[in-house]
This record gives sequence, structure tokens and C-alpha cells, in this order.
Amino acid sequence: MIRRALPLVAALLLTGCNGGTVDRHDLTKDAGTLDSIACEGALVADGVARSRTTVFYAREQAEELRIQTSNLAHALATRKSIPSIERRVREKSNEAAALARVLQRLHDHPSDRTVGADVERLLKHAGNCP
Amino acid sequence: MSKIFGVALGILAAIGGFVDIGDLVFNISAGATFGYQLMWVLPIGVIGIIVYSEMCGRVAAVSKKAVFDTVRERVGFSAGLGALIASEVVNLMTLAAELGGVAISLQLLCGLPYRWLLVLAVLGFAIVIWVMSFEWIERVFGYGGLCLLVFAVAAMKLSPDWGKLGNGFVPHVAQNNSLLYLYFVVGLLGAAMTPYEVYFYSSGGVEEEWTPKDIGLNRANAIIGYGLGGFFSVALMTTGAALFLGHGISPEHLGTIALGAQVPLGTIGLLLALVGILFAVGGASIDTVFSGAYNLAQFCGWEWGRYRTNANAPRFTLTWIVLLVLGMGIVMTGVDAVVLTEYAVIFSVVALPLTYIPILLVANDEQYMGRHRNGRLANVLGGVYLVVIMVVALSAIPLMILTNVGQN
Repeated sequence: MIRRALPLVAALLLTGCNGGTVDRHDLTKDAGTLDSIACEGALVADGVARSRTTVFYAREQAEELRIQTSNLAHALATRKSIPSIERRVREKSNEAAALARVLQRLHDHPSDRTVGADVERLLKHAGNCP
Repeated sequence: MSKIFGVALGILAAIGGFVDIGDLVFNISAGATFGYQLMWVLPIGVIGIIVYSEMCGRVAAVSKKAVFDTVRERVGFSAGLGALIASEVVNLMTLAAELGGVAISLQLLCGLPYRWLLVLAVLGFAIVIWVMSFEWIERVFGYGGLCLLVFAVAAMKLSPDWGKLGNGFVPHVAQNNSLLYLYFVVGLLGAAMTPYEVYFYSSGGVEEEWTPKDIGLNRANAIIGYGLGGFFSVALMTTGAALFLGHGISPEHLGTIALGAQVPLGTIGLLLALVGILFAVGGASIDTVFSGAYNLAQFCGWEWGRYRTNANAPRFTLTWIVLLVLGMGIVMTGVDAVVLTEYAVIFSVVALPLTYIPILLVANDEQYMGRHRNGRLANVLGGVYLVVIMVVALSAIPLMILTNVGQN
């Protein structure tokens, strides 16, 4: 019974892991995640720029996105990658770190309309958002 | 007149109480990932929960037995114990996810630290459960959950593609990424037919001392309440499709869901969305706590129920307190509420047959039900859904692994 259950438990544990070597598929996925974070951050920043949100929401949501981006930047910087995409992976890591800094500005100034407009512009550009 | 008023109140509470964190996460994510393509799953899930809730409500009204009373009697101790353990594990995972959702909603509303808000929320729930009557708990959280109607207004304001939305109700296979598509089918069905909903529903029927005279009330509550509750799911998926898909956003945080109301409606939309999420998820927290305590007490033959004083049902009372503390402990580890929700929904899908097979058996048993046993329609629907449930339960874990919990 236990022997039969082990592969299932191992598979379940593996589904939750984000380790291993970064390959092209991982890089594409992580790039997509970064674009998604940037576009979401842009919408939050738009709310700040147009005074259509609350200070608490803008601050906390920007913080959530910043943490996610920082974690991604760290993972891309430290995980091994296949040699042919190594440079691209490090570039993505730097992009993620830059994105985290922009989100930190939004977190620090959640009621500043000027900062909101500036952050929105930067994030839209970073994420190629519509 | 008072009876009609009572039915209306019950229905309102059912509408507001239908949506929980699983529905919020899966409906918005499905819309953001596949647009309107998965709309057809929603009526299938809603009809499924109506069929089985009506059945277990009728069993409660006629036999005065809730689900786990009948599980123990019908399938025996060993199989019943298996069902109990599975349901308690899934309940606890769901409870933890809901408590995490409550703390996140409070944090987005007031900006205080997450862990402090979690402790405050759990204390608040303990006080509410201790002092408030069953009906008022159901109503307060159900009515508060009605704030989620803001997503219907938001969906309209986002000008969805009505043609595509209508086409989405026609069942079809995926145009791309079929494994992920199937994962969402399973998740949406699991979120709509979560077992704790029927545990809570049937135990509530026993608590409110339904009799065969209330079978019509039970049917109206189930059909209209869950049916209109499904409307929320349509609104959420439409919001996901109309806003997030177009912007290339994959919602990974509970706060992102509120953005769906903030973008088209501004601050008032945001606040209504956050309050609606708070009450919907808060109500579901209480439902899951009760369900866990109901199941254990019914299986073990203890005194149970909110209509007894806490002192008259001490083991039932101790169980819900322990469950609240365990749920809080899980969230305190820092586990992500949204990720936990996905696991809870998928594992609840695996446990679905253990819940629904005994209900179908008992609802057909003349010895229990007399002339109120299942008619032809209930049996045909119950049988069809049993097949659906079995297929979905068998495919849930493989799909979760193959799609990396919906990440690929």
C-alpha cells in the first residue's frame, strides 16, 4: 500500500517544486508571468493615477506583486540554465529586478497621482500591455 | 405571507452563500485563460449541486438524518471511516484557504498586518459561532456576499463579446492547450459541487427541523438559490475574460479579482468587491467549520448542532474550535491561499464520489424515504451526475500533475 502510494506522493511534491534547470519552456513561462505582473501593476497604478482606488488596496497589491517579482528575479538569477539561453535568463532576471523596484515605488507612494501615472507608463512598457 | 418571506430570505442567503474562494479563483482564472470557452461547465456544475442538495435536503426532511448519519449507516464503519477522513482532510484544506482569503480581504480593506488580521478573523468567527443563531449567521454572511453582484455590473460595463459569451455555453473541446482546459473543467465542477456544501445543507435541514412539509421549500431553496448563485460564477468568468484576458493578466492573487470591479467601476466597485469577497469567503469559512464538526459528530454519534447549547454538545463545540485553530495554524505557515485553494478544490473532486454515492443510495431507499424516495427525473439526473463525478474524480490528480497545478 505504502509502496503504491510513494510515486503519487513524489509526483505531488514535484508538482509544487519550481527548482531544476531553466530551459526554454521555463524561460517563456517566466517571461509571460513577468508580463502579466507588469500589466496587472499597470492597472493598479492607473487606479492610483486617476484616484479610482484606495490607498490600502494599491499599497498591498503592489507589495504582493513586488514580492512575486523579486522571488522570480532571485530564482532566475540563481537557478542553473541550459548554456544556450544563459544570457537571456540573466537578462530576464535583471528585468524582473527592475520591475520589482518600480512596484516598490507604487507601494511607497500609493496615493501619489504623479507616481501612479509614471509607474503605469513604465509597467505598460515593460509588459507590452494594451 | 411569512412563509413566502422565509423562502425569499433563504434564497437570498443561498445566492450570497454560493460563491466561495474556490469559485472566485477558478471562475476568474478560467475567464482570464480561456475567455468564454468554459461557460458551458457552469450550468453543469450548478445543476449537479442542485440535484444532490435537493436530494440530501429531502433525506434530511424525511429521515431526520444528515449526510454522515446515512454514510455510517449505509456503507458501514470501514468505508464510512475512509469517507470521513477524506472529507475532513478536504474540509480542513478548504477552511484554511477560506481563512487565508478572509485575512487577505481584510488586509486589502484596512492595510493591517496579515497574520494579525488572521488571528482577529478567527477570534471573530469563534465569537460569531458561539453567540449568533444558525439562521442569522447564514443570513448575515449570505446578504454580505450579495455585494458580489458588483461583478455582474462590472461585467456589463466591460462590454463583453456577447456572441462569444453565448457560444461559450455550447459544450466544445479546447481550441488550444487541451490538458489545461480539462484541468479547468475539473476545477470548475469541483468548485461548484464542493462536498462541504451538501454536508452543510443537509445538516442545516436537520437543524431547522425540516419535515416532509418542507420538501417544497427545500426544492425552491436549492433550485433558485444555487441557480441564481451560478449567475455570480458567470459574472466572474465574464469579468476574467473581458478584462484580464485582454490585458494578458493571469490572476495569481485574491486581490487581483477585486481589480475586475475596480477598473470599470472605480473605488466604489473596489470596495463592494472586497466586502463581497470578505463575506462570501467568511461565510464559507463558517460553513466548512460546521461541516467538519457535523461530519465527525454525526459519524461518531455525538450530540451535535447549533440548536443545542454549546454545553449540551461539548464534543461538537470542541471539534469546531479545534478545526478553527488547525485552519489558522495552516495559514500561519505562510502557505499561499490561492495555491491552497486550487489543491483543496482538486482534492475535493477526488472525494466527491464518497459524498454523493451514499446520498443517491439513501434517497432511493424506500425504508428511509417511503413515498418521498427519488422519482424518475431525480434518478436519471443523479445517475448521470454520478458518472460525471466518477470521471472527474479519476482524472483530477493526473490533470493536476500534468498541468503543474494549472501553471502550464
